[in-house]
Amino acid sequence: MTALRESALVYPIVMTGHLTGMALFGGMIAITDMRLLGWAMRSSSITDVVEQLRIWKRIGFVMVVGCGALLLGSKAEMYYYNPFYWAKMTLLLLVGVHALAFRSIYGNTAALDNAPRVPSKAKVAACLSLLIWIGLVTAGRSIAYWDIPENLMPIYGTNGPITHHVRP
Amino acid sequence: MMDIQIPYDPATNPLNNNEWSFPLLEIIHIVGFAIAIGSIFMVDLRLIGIGMKRQLSSQLAKDLGPWTLGGLAAVLMSGPLIFSSDPNLYLNNSSFRFKIGALLIAILYQYTLHRKVALSDPTPAVGALVGIVSVALWVSVVAGGLFIAFA
Repeated sequence: MTALRESALVYPIVMTGHLTGMALFGGMIAITDMRLLGWAMRSSSITDVVEQLRIWKRIGFVMVVGCGALLLGSKAEMYYYNPFYWAKMTLLLLVGVHALAFRSIYGNTAALDNAPRVPSKAKVAACLSLLIWIGLVTAGRSIAYWDIPENLMPIYGTNGPITHHVRP
Repeated sequence: MMDIQIPYDPATNPLNNNEWSFPLLEIIHIVGFAIAIGSIFMVDLRLIGIGMKRQLSSQLAKDLGPWTLGGLAAVLMSGPLIFSSDPNLYLNNSSFRFKIGALLIAILYQYTLHRKVALSDPTPAVGALVGIVSVALWVSVVAGGLFIAFA
């Protein structure tokens, strides 16, 4: 963790893993949601899209969370005080709640493919999923814009490596 | 590294005069690249032969094309605006230069060789090569973008 905090190279490399995982996890979730809404990949069945992307979404999820945990570990105290970090964790929890609540949708895609049109419950699931993930990105990015409390400044400085935007 | 200075005062840029527009553009940039690169990766997985095998790569390329383009459009609109917040800083940042170079190559590759091969449902060896190059190019664009803030 100390190596991560102090190395000029490791931190952005871990962040690249975090964002590449996001393209796998977030990008594929968005495409799956769009398929449920009938906007994307209509020449493939919902079953084909959901089943074949499942493993890749899981790999993406492990990349995002794994690299995210490393970034967190490198500056745990700073995140602890950051309200946007907790907003992000709450949304992450909602990802789990969403998966449990809509198990009947994602676990039985054959029923969706056989139905004359996609049931509204599946479309609600897709919309909520999109909202949660845009919320996750928003909260995640906002973490860098929250100012560090005065009493922590001597430890971390005002412009620690959490802030990876380049503006002064 | 060649020093570039363009006569532009970022202080007059509206992006630097409120708290929300810069992060909002970054969020659009991230959502856009996740959709663009996520959809490109789906075609690449098929080309490499490790995912989406019930579909043909030509079918995936056709179906996902609009989403790749939409994601790229979001990225290519938010990116230059982010750049405008401090052009001289970005122009003289070696990671930014690397990123733009990689991005131009990646886009050119995506809409020439990658597209042609994906639409032709290639042999496994050709598909794997084209898919792996695509993944490498796009990951290097993401890495270049992240390193802007560090180098």
